[in-house]
Amino acid sequence: MADSNAYWYLASYPKSGNTWCRVFITELMRLSGSSSGETDPQELNLNWDLNTGAIASSRLWLDDQLGVNSCDLGFAELDPLRGAAGGSAWLFAEGERYHKVHDAFRSPDSRGRPVVSLEGCHGAVVILRHPEDVAVSLSHFYGWSLQRCVAFLLDPEAALVPDDRHGGQQVRQHMGRWDQHVMSWVDQQLLPVLVIRYEDMLTKGPETFGALAAFLQLPTDGDLVEQALANTSIGRLKALEEKVGGFAEKPQGCERFFRSGRSGEGAEQLSLEQREQLAAGLAATMERFGY
Amino acid sequence: MGLRDRLEHVDRRDLMATKKSYSVFGFQVSSDLTLPELAVSQRVEPSPVNIQAAEQSQWPLLEPSHHSTQTLQLGAGEWRLGLEGIGWFRASNGQTLEWQRWDDSVSDRDVRTFAVTSGLGAVAVQRGLLVLHGTAVERGGQAVLLLGHPATGKSTLAWCLVQRGWRLLSSELTVVDGMGMVWPGIQQLKLWNDAAERLGLDWTQLPPVRRGLKRYALLPQEVACAEQPLPLRSLYVLRRRKPQATSTDHADGQLRVSDPFSQQQALLSLRNQAFQARVYRGMGLEAGLFVQAGALARRMPLRALQVPDGITAMGNGLEGIDLLDPASLLSLKGEGSDG
Repeated sequence: MADSNAYWYLASYPKSGNTWCRVFITELMRLSGSSSGETDPQELNLNWDLNTGAIASSRLWLDDQLGVNSCDLGFAELDPLRGAAGGSAWLFAEGERYHKVHDAFRSPDSRGRPVVSLEGCHGAVVILRHPEDVAVSLSHFYGWSLQRCVAFLLDPEAALVPDDRHGGQQVRQHMGRWDQHVMSWVDQQLLPVLVIRYEDMLTKGPETFGALAAFLQLPTDGDLVEQALANTSIGRLKALEEKVGGFAEKPQGCERFFRSGRSGEGAEQLSLEQREQLAAGLAATMERFGY
Repeated sequence: MGLRDRLEHVDRRDLMATKKSYSVFGFQVSSDLTLPELAVSQRVEPSPVNIQAAEQSQWPLLEPSHHSTQTLQLGAGEWRLGLEGIGWFRASNGQTLEWQRWDDSVSDRDVRTFAVTSGLGAVAVQRGLLVLHGTAVERGGQAVLLLGHPATGKSTLAWCLVQRGWRLLSSELTVVDGMGMVWPGIQQLKLWNDAAERLGLDWTQLPPVRRGLKRYALLPQEVACAEQPLPLRSLYVLRRRKPQATSTDHADGQLRVSDPFSQQQALLSLRNQAFQARVYRGMGLEAGLFVQAGALARRMPLRALQVPDGITAMGNGLEGIDLLDPASLLSLKGEGSDG
């Protein structure tokens, strides 16, 4: 096991498999007996056990680190400070060491600095998914039209919580175009990177999740990995979501968080024109990762 | 001259200002900054807390505790905040709050935003007070304390209450003493642009909290404020309810209240709402925090107060209820602590 202060980022564009990775990590730790919290010995509870770590954009976490109310800072003040938040051995609560992040590695306001802390960080898992499938999943998640999702993936200004007219539990997360987002993490030289593709998580599960476990210094025993994978299949997660009466990370209006999980839905549901728009805008990066 | 102009005018005058006296959290402050969010004090005390400009390069070296971060340096009796592009702040021994702006482009308003909240909060912690993330309002001589971290809706709810005849005691940070008295503190509500619009305020006439922010300050000119410490009657921790688009429940827009937390849950919740657990710990004051939070948990039941997510709904939800009397609210079942 890793030293108790080690931590990693799970970096992805939204709807690319980040939560699946976190659920897998939680389940692998539960099965191997290395969970730090009180967990159900029989079964994973999505809303109680999924404490792999704070999302890097959590306002509560940033306020604690910075010592101020971050609502009083503009984007151009906050983004350059975000990378400095957490430069201490007491960065994260014990056992919470795998932190979701949807931000691009740098933002236009961060003065060239990473928006995440690097000190003590052991690396970043970068999770990719075919942008056509991301578009379909975004559409279900936010209730947006497919065309809006295609435009979002191609928008160099795209961000989560982009509005500066209201606060929220998370701060603005700049993502940019899908390819800009991917390359910001993959090509940065400051953190070790493991790139995994959602499609490989589906079709080459043991190999892909085994590599994930090794990178995160988690148990890599083949049987354990396969069992954790079986316990976190999309069918199993849908059943668990139903059991807890809705996953806490599901937004308003979204019927279920764990929906289909399939790959190839984009090719089925996007128009030829929409697919061509994505291909034209994102070609180089898509080709680089075999899309 | 509009309020915005008046405040700009005040900011410029500050360069030459003499010291002014205020009272906050039960202690007196003598400040070289004009602080319109604090009550002016007429009393003269022998040793007020001094807020004064200083040269941070002259501050003595600090061996920071391991609870320090890159912006926040903590040690016994020492709290230091360094914000790139804004300035440096130092609270020491509950007696002084020093500040230095980053450069001349930083306005007094920028400085006081952080001096008044984080800075005076740190001074209050150093003076042995229980400082909680919360906004306190008063009606009929009794106080209600709404706990919650930033962006949970405290200010919006407080503004809605002020429109219904309540008075503001303290916002963002609130001090409760060992006798259960809530002290007048920061008397300014900060509202985001979308909240101001939905509440029907003409935000073009309101001063921004800081230049460039779409977040506005409602100062005592706009907000009725209470000036005396008052006994705490009800204690809530705010929760925002996710609106259910498919809900047909006519009561979905109502405020709901949980059963009282167990004392242990309440203690943990109060500790989590402290300003800030890291600050207490880093200055070696965490034991005192637990003693004070425990005493408050024994004295006063803590309940979760679930408020509708929408700003208009939040105001409407106050109809026919009385936050001084939790029994007047709909019950929220199955709600535990946030510990």
